[in-house]
Amino acid sequence: MREARRAEDAAAAAGLSFFEVVFEMLDAADVNAVAAYGGFPTRYPSWRFGMEYERLSKGHEWGLSKIYELVVNHDPTIAYLVRSNSLMEQKLVMAHVFGHADFFRHNAWFAPTERHMLDRFEEHTRRVQDYIERYGQDRVERFLDVALSLEPLMDPHGPQRRFRTAQSRAQRGGAPAGASQVERSRANLRLLMGGDNPAPDPAGPELPTFDLLTFIAEHAELEDWERDVLGIVAAEAEYFLPQRLTKIINEGWASFWHSRLLTGGLLDPSELVEFADCHSSATQAAPGQLNPYKLGIELFRHAERLGLDLFRLRAVHNDVSFVDEVMDEEFIERSALFVSERPRSGDGSRIGTRDHVAVKQELLRSLTWGGQPRIELVDVSGGGSRELVLRHHHDGRDLKLDEAAVVLETIERLWRAPVKLITAEGDEERRLTVNGGDVQVRGSEGPPSALPSRAG
Amino acid sequence: MGGQIYRIDRDRARFKEVVRGRIREDLQRYLASSELIGKRGDRVVSVPVPSVELPRFRFGSNESGVGQGPGEVGDAADGRHGEGDAGAGGAGEQEGTHILEAEVELEELASMLGDELQLPNILPRGRDELDASGGQWSGIRGQGPQSLRHFRRTFRRALVRTIASGEFDPERPVVTPIREDHLYRALKPKPRPESSAVIMHMMDVSGSMGREQKDIVRIEAFWIDTWLRSQYRNLEVVYIVHDAAAKVVDKETFFHLRESGGTKISSAYELCLDLIKDRYPPEDFNIYPFHYSDGDNWSARDTERCVSLVRDELLSRVNQFCYGQVKSAYGSGQFKKDLDTAFPGEDALVTAGVDDRAGIPRAIKAFLGQGR
Repeated sequence: MREARRAEDAAAAAGLSFFEVVFEMLDAADVNAVAAYGGFPTRYPSWRFGMEYERLSKGHEWGLSKIYELVVNHDPTIAYLVRSNSLMEQKLVMAHVFGHADFFRHNAWFAPTERHMLDRFEEHTRRVQDYIERYGQDRVERFLDVALSLEPLMDPHGPQRRFRTAQSRAQRGGAPAGASQVERSRANLRLLMGGDNPAPDPAGPELPTFDLLTFIAEHAELEDWERDVLGIVAAEAEYFLPQRLTKIINEGWASFWHSRLLTGGLLDPSELVEFADCHSSATQAAPGQLNPYKLGIELFRHAERLGLDLFRLRAVHNDVSFVDEVMDEEFIERSALFVSERPRSGDGSRIGTRDHVAVKQELLRSLTWGGQPRIELVDVSGGGSRELVLRHHHDGRDLKLDEAAVVLETIERLWRAPVKLITAEGDEERRLTVNGGDVQVRGSEGPPSALPSRAG
Repeated sequence: MGGQIYRIDRDRARFKEVVRGRIREDLQRYLASSELIGKRGDRVVSVPVPSVELPRFRFGSNESGVGQGPGEVGDAADGRHGEGDAGAGGAGEQEGTHILEAEVELEELASMLGDELQLPNILPRGRDELDASGGQWSGIRGQGPQSLRHFRRTFRRALVRTIASGEFDPERPVVTPIREDHLYRALKPKPRPESSAVIMHMMDVSGSMGREQKDIVRIEAFWIDTWLRSQYRNLEVVYIVHDAAAKVVDKETFFHLRESGGTKISSAYELCLDLIKDRYPPEDFNIYPFHYSDGDNWSARDTERCVSLVRDELLSRVNQFCYGQVKSAYGSGQFKKDLDTAFPGEDALVTAGVDDRAGIPRAIKAFLGQGR
């Protein structure tokens, strides 16, 4: 681990700072297992982790993908290295890891995250296992599947907003004087979140909201253990959320620094060719596709040319705002970016345009909202019906209606009342209604029709 | 990390169970689709399992994206374009979009098929004597338990050694076996003749058999192979195509060849008979000819020829003769009627009509449901 020391010193000298970084060595075969669990050794039992493992192992077997490293946002930061990597690869990975560790610590989107998630995951696992013993594997597993299929239904900006509210409350005198900012915010966060168990809100539902999963956890008629499972899934999703929002900037930052640190002295001259090979394969884009590593590192280099403060960029931005600030016409042209279009008839996508305004707009659109469709809970009907009314904020991209209908059925079963989704196909409004497991879709006018059932 | 690895094994096993459950649930759909064809290895089938993915709100097909690379406007953007892979937007969610393929043992798939269609196991035809026991205690080896020590052979070896070393005293003929002399009885594996089978798929490739008709044949052939493979350790498959003349082709050709011209079914039956006579003696093989066509034959005379070939030559040599008639826009469907009329109540001849893909399971059930 002498190399780790050297890399750490070099990273610190370059201005990076981080929680303590703990390196763990793994065999190549075990890396996929750890990765399948999101980097945490203890997760509740679920076939989905098995599926993820299978996918990673196949990818590895077929040479499609290779995991070099795995970094966990935690205090201390945990990084897994693969034992079979060469010394040069380990150096590269360690420098890369310090980049991520710095990002985790300083990026605003990670500020609300729980830094001691290891304990929380263990606690979650213990509770789920307890439910399995009490209620049976099948029942708990089925419910977990339901919860996981609603997992993306959260406001990606929610944690950040709540965090800021708590912070300003703290500044008005909530936190002990002299406490560090991190301690203050952590104290307030705990206060605010009050554990995983969302207590029923006495003030009644706050509508509209994008936090549909939490809303259901709080207001649906559920058994206690079911409510708890929803809460667990929501808490874990919230923990992983910032990583979804900062893929390009986080990988860009880590790649920018591994490249700079290695070529700035960490590399032995004899390792140069191997480094170039390894670095370029990590930052190459398959034809027609975008690689977040490549896009991110190029954006940081461009920002440096523009004279921007890189450390500020990594502190304040997520992918959307980062691209918005740094990407300009020159960058788009030099990087040969284009908008790809898929014609309604025929398969395969084509280069639609290279117009820089269109490219940037399209990229921002695809990154917005964590790349997910924006589904908002706009209303709960009064009276006895309790119908949930959801609205999809249509931005030109249609939903897969057949699959959406299945999600609505899931929500209906949980909520035990009808669910309606207002969306659109192209310019035409579509309303999907689920009532008693019966799905109907209708346009703004015209008779309802049954949705063709989902093939598969 | 031992605990972790143990856990992943458990979650992985559970995942496989889930997959099997889904396949079982969806078997009727797989039975009517060509999804699994070409996914079969020697022992496993890769089953695409999109249905295992949890349902989510996802973007549909009109999602555009941003890509990178050279090319003029209007050129193919290259690379696969699904949600998430051309646009960085899916960066966090890419993993959800791959269709996973789960490997299922052929044996297991066959047993699912058997359960679904309630297929009886096949009793190999007149082969009782082949079911000989696994071996006899006629072998000898140097190690073994005392209970299996072969006294005579051990003594003889000890005697030979004693004489050879000059220690043998005829006055006092004491022979003391030492450890190296000991010999033990061993199980001598007797090669057990395994029951072998041959499938002969014969397909009409005349002009009226279109793509859809061939697909139906292909799907049927896949499931028939899968089932029979689970019943016989040694299975050979022969592919024959015919229009006015018949020939043996490889699998690839069988499924893709398109000929045009007249139809002389007897040509295929004659070739089938020749093959049986030359290469697949009924004493050594369980024989399963399957013939698929849309039911049009060249002439009534040729149909008579077919009937007499089946009656006089084939039926006595095969386990079962199956005819699957796939409905086509042009076919009259006469041939099935002719066969049915010629062989009323004949168990060894099975005919089935298939109107469309949905009719495939019923045809398979008819063909394999007799356990012959």
